[in-house]
Amino acid sequence: MLKTSKEMILLYVFVGLFLLMSAASPSKFLTLGNLQSMATQLPELGLIALGMMVVIITGGIDLSITFTAALSGIVGALVLSSGYSAGVEGTAVIFLIIKALLATLITALICGFVNGLLISYVGVSPILVTLGTMTLFEGMSVWLTKGGAISGFPGQYQWIGNGYLGFIPVPILIFIVFAVLTLILLERTAWGRSVYMFGCNPVATFFSGINTKKVVMLVYLYAAMMAAMAAIIMTSRYNSAKVDYGSSYLLQSVAIVVLGGTDIAGGYGKVVGTVVAAGIVQVLSSGLNLIGINRFMVDVTMGVLLIAVLLLNSFISKRKQGKGVKKEPKKIGIAV
Amino acid sequence: MKKIIALLLSVLFMVSLLAGCGSDKSNTQSQQQQGQQQTASTKDNKYKIVVMPKLVGIPYFNASEQGAKKAGQDLGVEVIYTGPTKADAAEQVKMIEDLINQGVDAIAVAPNDPAALTPVLKKAKDKGILVVDWDTPADKSVVDLSVHQIDDKQYGEHIWDLLVQSMGTDSAEYAIITGGLSAANLNTWINYGLEYAKSKYPNLKLVTDKIPSDEKQQVAYQKALELIKAYPNLKGIIGISTPAPIGAAQAVQEKGLQDKVSVVGTGLPNDSKTYLKDGSLDVATLWEPAKLGYLTVALIKDMLDGKKPTDGQEVPNVGKIQVQSDGKTVIMGPPTDFTKDNVDQFNF
Repeated sequence: MLKTSKEMILLYVFVGLFLLMSAASPSKFLTLGNLQSMATQLPELGLIALGMMVVIITGGIDLSITFTAALSGIVGALVLSSGYSAGVEGTAVIFLIIKALLATLITALICGFVNGLLISYVGVSPILVTLGTMTLFEGMSVWLTKGGAISGFPGQYQWIGNGYLGFIPVPILIFIVFAVLTLILLERTAWGRSVYMFGCNPVATFFSGINTKKVVMLVYLYAAMMAAMAAIIMTSRYNSAKVDYGSSYLLQSVAIVVLGGTDIAGGYGKVVGTVVAAGIVQVLSSGLNLIGINRFMVDVTMGVLLIAVLLLNSFISKRKQGKGVKKEPKKIGIAV
Repeated sequence: MKKIIALLLSVLFMVSLLAGCGSDKSNTQSQQQQGQQQTASTKDNKYKIVVMPKLVGIPYFNASEQGAKKAGQDLGVEVIYTGPTKADAAEQVKMIEDLINQGVDAIAVAPNDPAALTPVLKKAKDKGILVVDWDTPADKSVVDLSVHQIDDKQYGEHIWDLLVQSMGTDSAEYAIITGGLSAANLNTWINYGLEYAKSKYPNLKLVTDKIPSDEKQQVAYQKALELIKAYPNLKGIIGISTPAPIGAAQAVQEKGLQDKVSVVGTGLPNDSKTYLKDGSLDVATLWEPAKLGYLTVALIKDMLDGKKPTDGQEVPNVGKIQVQSDGKTVIMGPPTDFTKDNVDQFNF
């Protein structure tokens, strides 16, 4: 079973692409500098994709996730730049940065709470709620910034997005920590189990005695937390905050989640799949850029790759199902 | 069994991708001219210069691409003209990071957001790459050279001069349609122009505050219609931002007021052509993006050779340039006016 899982195929594709890019330009692709810069670029989108994945497993979608990131990043940036002047030094700076990080996180959690409240307790469909909050958060971000960028951060803040521990970029470490956290929460806890159950069948989950409202609320809070982490990395990396940073990540993150094998209808999805899918997109983007291929071709290649993997997955699952019916009818229930 | 099939499938998939990549490469190579061949360029020691626009695929930046590529051919340097497909600062940062690893000699960028690019440009500078901005200024402290298309003050004053010339009188009523109220460059031009008009043309009367048109021709057209109706004595309209004068000209054309209302402004020649020819647009003025691309590459080549730009220097195919007192801010020169007589010579 494991050998033909969607995730394994994805891993083959990732390794294959990596080797292909290495063969195409060994002197550029396989350098420490390039590997480092890929590791710095991946986390923003990867974190948003992880948050999106958790939501999609419940059968929902969070269209407001990128603007949650933008709004929380802007609030954090406002705290940071208003509290910082040339005279502030030493521990005061560290204290200020911690304050800004908390402001970012709290803002994001408020955003997530609004989504969760409307979806789980009021019962409006996720796509409608998050479409509304997307516009709401965007509007608030524009109102706070007047459309411009907020900058003027202490130099130490840049370490989060641009720094290294040894030779490993800090952002990828943050990403690894949160990927492992998501893995544990989803696949090793009762909450994670009920997230999958809710995605498969909300009614049955409710009648199993699970507080589905709380489960869903936590899902949107978790997605918002991922958005906050992405926002922290972005504001630090670009040394500023602006409403449209990362606005192109919304559909990209959905694409990564689906590429990673998560069922768009909910009920199935693995952290490993999403992480590998994010890696594939990054290798493809950086690799093609290094080779010097026209930027439009990069977009085209991404689209082709997405469709190809989806076709492959659906082909395999059909085959599996056909076989399962004949030989081992019990397995379907477990596999899904 | 399943494993084998899965493996086979993935191999097949990789092969098809390989094939795809192969054809991509030949395509792009035939598009980009001879100096671009990957293997060859790493061996010879031609300078590699990156010119990055705000985004690729719009006429303005396509024209500057032609200029930059031509300079590359003339001067024997390799020009990599690449940029994001959307005007997104985050995308630019990522692309610059990749390009730093590619090992280039200079990066010239037209930033979508100056603040966002500062860290990555610093990184490039630390690696010994010459950092330049063009078209739109980046953070002054990180760039080695800053190429501007125009002197803002001169440009603003020039537009008002054109208005008076086109109307044939300096005592008249006029209005301004601008792209957006918060666009910094547009506001700078308008403010310089208004200040200049106050002393030079005191009888010129602005009927109402500048009117925003959201960078849309359709909106500019509607606003111009309203202006014509509300102020029957209106003699001139200034359109700032490229769609604005076209929209205003469209309104004048529809009402048949070519001889009564003069329209001047900042327009691209291809858009302006039809309106210039029937007289609804009197004159459009703008710099030439192709020249700007050419100048950027030419100056970078000089800098890499160790030559700094000097005030009044004559750059072949561009003309005399001005250098400001800080020694690194270069201004390309006066704008080019497009009238019905010369508009056919330009293609952007």
